[in-house]
Amino acid sequence: MDYAATFRISASGMALEKARLEIASVNIANMNSAGRSADSVFKPLKLVGQAVPFPFAGHFDHVRAGGVRMAGAVPVETAPRLVHEPGHPYANAQGMVAYPGVDHTAEMLNLNIALRAYEANVVALNAGRTMAARTLDIGGQNGA
Amino acid sequence: MALEAVAPVGLEQALRAVAKAGPPEGTQVVSAPGGEFSAWFAREVGAVNGGLVQAEASMRAMALGQGGNLHEVMIQLEEAKLSFQLLAQVRNRVLEAYQEVMRTQV
Repeated sequence: MDYAATFRISASGMALEKARLEIASVNIANMNSAGRSADSVFKPLKLVGQAVPFPFAGHFDHVRAGGVRMAGAVPVETAPRLVHEPGHPYANAQGMVAYPGVDHTAEMLNLNIALRAYEANVVALNAGRTMAARTLDIGGQNGA
Repeated sequence: MALEAVAPVGLEQALRAVAKAGPPEGTQVVSAPGGEFSAWFAREVGAVNGGLVQAEASMRAMALGQGGNLHEVMIQLEEAKLSFQLLAQVRNRVLEAYQEVMRTQV
């Protein structure tokens, strides 16, 4: 079995979770960036992951690819948060300024989800590495 | 050379006959030109070294802040470590076999 393939699968998961963290960070960073109008305000992004088909059919020795890839970061249509700030340069006729409709709680949760999923990928990779290292113990002097 | 002590047994004739007849029927003689294993081993050592060098290069790039993914670098290091361990195991086996041969009673 090709252990490098196992590593690649976990690496793709890690890359995706890293992207999830980055997107949550972008959303949080832009939480208070005012928009010139209610339409042009920053839209919170959402990461879309896509499974890479795992070609398992029959050929156990030729397991390749698998894993996950990022299909894209799509803007979510959320209603902007309107704040009454008459002195603001971007304020409209009613004195309202549009701020992005970022869900702070959900973004904090996303950070945690990304962190835990990343850790799970690291654990999976370490399990694969341990398996490979154990394989090298076959026939060894100190192997039971 | 004549083997006087064992001549009565007819061993010398038997050995000559075996030498003339060649390998027994049905035995395939695999032509192993000298240095095939050592060439393969040298190639593998080169490949392992290449992996180590590449891992070191990406580690250096990472440390210099030239971008790159931290997890990719760590995985490269892990792969290099594993391939080196495999190489060390192959070397152990070869050395074991060699010592086994050297211990053979002649």
